[in-house]
Amino acid sequence: MDYLSLFENDFLVLMPEIFLVYAACFLLMYGVLVSGAPEHAYVTNTGFLVILSLGLALLLLINGPVTDMLLMYNTLKVDYFTFYVQAWILIIGIGVVLMSFDYLKREKMHMYEYMVLVLLSCTSMLFMVASYDLIAMYLAVEFQSLAFYVIAASQRDSEFSTEAGLKYFFLGAFSSGILLFGSSLVYGYTGTTNLSDLATLYTGFESLNVASGGLYVGLMFVSVGFLFKLAAAPFHMWSPDVYQGSPTTVTAFFALTPKLAVLALLTKILYVGFYDIMGPWQKVVMVCSLASMVVGAIGALGQTNIKRLLAYSSIGHVGYMLMGLASGSVEGIQAMFVYMVIYVAMTFTTFCIVLSVRTADNKPVEYIHDLSHMSRSNPILAMTLALTMFSMAGVPPLAGFCSKFYLFFTALSSSLYPLAVVGVLSSVVSSFYYLRLIKTLYFDHTNTVHSYVSLDTEKAWLCALSFGVTMFLIMYPNPLFLASHKVALALCALIR
Amino acid sequence: MNSSYINNMSLAFWAVSPVFLYNMVYSPNSPFLLYLILVPLVGALALFLIPSESIQLIKVVALNVSLFTYIASLFLWIGFDASSPNFQYLYQADWMPYGNLYFTLGIDGISLFFIILSTLLVPICIMLGWSSITIYIREYMVALLILDAMMIAVFSTLDLLLFYVCFEAVLIPMFVIIGVWGSRARRIRAAYQFFLYTFFGSVLMLLAILMMYFQAGTTDLQILLTTEFSTQRQILYFLAFFASFAAKVPMIPVHIWLPEAHVEAPTAGSVLLAGIMLKLGTYGFLRFSMPLFPEATLYFTPFIYTLSCIAVIYASLTTVRQVDLKKIIAYSSVAHMGVVMLGLFSLNAQGVEGSILLMLGHGLVSPGLFMCVGVLYDRYKTRLVKYYGGVVHTMPLFATIFLLFTMGNIGLPGTSNFVGEFLVLTGCYQTNTLIAALGATGMVLGGAYSLWLYNRVVYGFPKPHYINTYADINRREFFMFVPLIIGTLWMGIYPEVFLHDMHVSVANVIQHGSY
Repeated sequence: MDYLSLFENDFLVLMPEIFLVYAACFLLMYGVLVSGAPEHAYVTNTGFLVILSLGLALLLLINGPVTDMLLMYNTLKVDYFTFYVQAWILIIGIGVVLMSFDYLKREKMHMYEYMVLVLLSCTSMLFMVASYDLIAMYLAVEFQSLAFYVIAASQRDSEFSTEAGLKYFFLGAFSSGILLFGSSLVYGYTGTTNLSDLATLYTGFESLNVASGGLYVGLMFVSVGFLFKLAAAPFHMWSPDVYQGSPTTVTAFFALTPKLAVLALLTKILYVGFYDIMGPWQKVVMVCSLASMVVGAIGALGQTNIKRLLAYSSIGHVGYMLMGLASGSVEGIQAMFVYMVIYVAMTFTTFCIVLSVRTADNKPVEYIHDLSHMSRSNPILAMTLALTMFSMAGVPPLAGFCSKFYLFFTALSSSLYPLAVVGVLSSVVSSFYYLRLIKTLYFDHTNTVHSYVSLDTEKAWLCALSFGVTMFLIMYPNPLFLASHKVALALCALIR
Repeated sequence: MNSSYINNMSLAFWAVSPVFLYNMVYSPNSPFLLYLILVPLVGALALFLIPSESIQLIKVVALNVSLFTYIASLFLWIGFDASSPNFQYLYQADWMPYGNLYFTLGIDGISLFFIILSTLLVPICIMLGWSSITIYIREYMVALLILDAMMIAVFSTLDLLLFYVCFEAVLIPMFVIIGVWGSRARRIRAAYQFFLYTFFGSVLMLLAILMMYFQAGTTDLQILLTTEFSTQRQILYFLAFFASFAAKVPMIPVHIWLPEAHVEAPTAGSVLLAGIMLKLGTYGFLRFSMPLFPEATLYFTPFIYTLSCIAVIYASLTTVRQVDLKKIIAYSSVAHMGVVMLGLFSLNAQGVEGSILLMLGHGLVSPGLFMCVGVLYDRYKTRLVKYYGGVVHTMPLFATIFLLFTMGNIGLPGTSNFVGEFLVLTGCYQTNTLIAALGATGMVLGGAYSLWLYNRVVYGFPKPHYINTYADINRREFFMFVPLIIGTLWMGIYPEVFLHDMHVSVANVIQHGSY
């Protein structure tokens, strides 16, 4: 028996990841070989190849031969949960690349590496979501972080971007250290890193009353490491700076994918590995959820920079998603995934529009008041942005309401009354700054003139699609809710 | 596109419209209410397809669509069975069936007239903006048509969650109307206050709705009516609903947003605010709080009596001292809504029917008054009382109409408000004499501020150093006033037409709570 036949089926199942790794190698060589050309064309070219690779990986994923399997000596697992999250990661990757073409050209960022880095981070997140073992998890997280540090600093001639990359690197390394320390503590006290083994060990753990402090500390460290990566308050300090400094497309990428991937991984670890010692981690998640909602609502009130505002807004949204995680029920997970998808749609629309506006001297917009001319120069875009902001505030009948009401419902049915009450109150407070953006769009009559770049075709499609979800989801929310329900059931191993 | 072409097109539209109407009303099992909601929405979508330079076409299409909606809504009344205690025109569609959430529509004698009132006011608002709105004309029309659809939906929905959705959805177009077409810089503050007061109240209502959903497994009103909640829960839910409805009514401590919003909104905004929005709160109390939480209703009745009495007296006294025409009418709305609340919580047939009639009457009189102020403001660009005087000499037609609505506001016999207030006080007298007496002072004080206002504006000598050009109301303005005048007098002279359709539904509510 040779080694290859041992993993024969595993390789089949891992086809999308393997394909993406090869594609990354190929595209790196492709970029090096044709990068002598002076035009911007080769960046666009690489970008389209990245889209092609991500799309093919998506096809491979959808047509995968196995729907539920443990791979590679139980270090990875695929099921409907990983399938769903991975599919979304690939779709978001495609969307971000589509958004980037126009921006990179205008900012004169002639670097094809940007596109390859998006591809690489998508690959790493596929591994992250699939990981079923603390070591595999750590390796995937590091792979993802490495790609992210580089991509944050990718605008080489801007000190903001460099600063963002550095900050992200220091704090990311710090949180990775915490994560690794936590994992090693867990390993030290249990002798295993595999999630299902951990789950077996902990069965009835609390009732046996053999609580061991070291284990709890390890669990705390793991959770805190992830909450750092999620930028949940009180571990959120880095995110406004990184959001502000990075190139805007990268900011969009940071606002979209890590939230999905890291939160999915955290959910998996807590629900699969540590479900039986829910008491301690539920408190941590609750506190972070509360803090994030409040910080997201209050912190954004005084912001004038659009990207910082969006950073605080995403901190608030993470708080809401953590509410679903804290509820500890299947419905909670379902609500969280519903929220995530709607958050992705709203964020895409917002960033598409922010990317399409430039100041008179052809710089990307930085401040909110730069948008004040938009309702006259581009009324359709202004209306789209205004409605998206209403949706973010959770005003029905827009999609943001769909996500929030189900989340509050699960929080109430799990008796998390403080979370639900603080959640609705902070949604009122946060509506204040979303309204401020609408006010700037429609009510302010300033005389500053800005040039408005018309949307390029790629962004226009993206914007229309995501805005369609925001507008019309309430008419037919069934597919999203049912798919999320299936994800939650798959995660809790209630269906095969 | 020239105007004769547009006129021919609207004529053609009205020529074929009976076909649509016939199909909406008489085809078997037709979801009439759903069509009624969809018509303005489709109209709003159609407005986006018209190029923005053909302003006249946009206006005409919006007006025709809203008039069509109004006429279609009258067929609701024609087909209404006043003797049936059931909800009528029922329509149910899947929304999230696995979560037991359905899209349920249906009306009874209580909601019927509110739907007709909203569809009546929207074409009037479109005509109000005909020449006074100069920026974002298309958006104005779209906002009004969407409001139209949402108001029909909010009054016809029989599902709590759907009610919440429509109740909140009304905020978006209204926020935009106040903020964009309002008159002064302070409008932004007014729009914020309007939005945040309502939003803050209603998220608490959302929590209560979700708790009820968790407990009963459904948000269908007809099923919830058969559910009994424990007294403690009822009190909790009632408070949460109260937070939302009281801000909308508005009850006295949370009424601050109303004068601001009224003063800063364009005339159409004020008309819709006074005509429909305020009624959403009282309608909510009548439709949801009273039948669903009967014990809590009894528990909180003294509290609401107190607040309403304070509203009646304090708001009336505040009105006397105002110098802004719109603020006067706004504060008088607060006082009138206090009377409405007194009637609702008298919890007997006279009181409740009287308060519904007063809501409808106030929904005609107070828009009429706001339109009168709008007429003055369009000509002279000021709303301060002290600049006006002797208007009767220069605008006799206007003075007559203004007098009629002022008398309506006082509650003079022969106008709608008299019947409403009389019934409210009769009902109130049966439960609490003191409260009825205190509430009745509101009528006296109403006479004081209304007559004084009319006196200062219309009588006396003209003030040519402030105002030196004169024009009476034109034909468009006159035709906007006509339906309101007819309604006010009709309701005042022969109210039985309206009461007849309410009796069974009101008796239903009262008997359900076994008050």
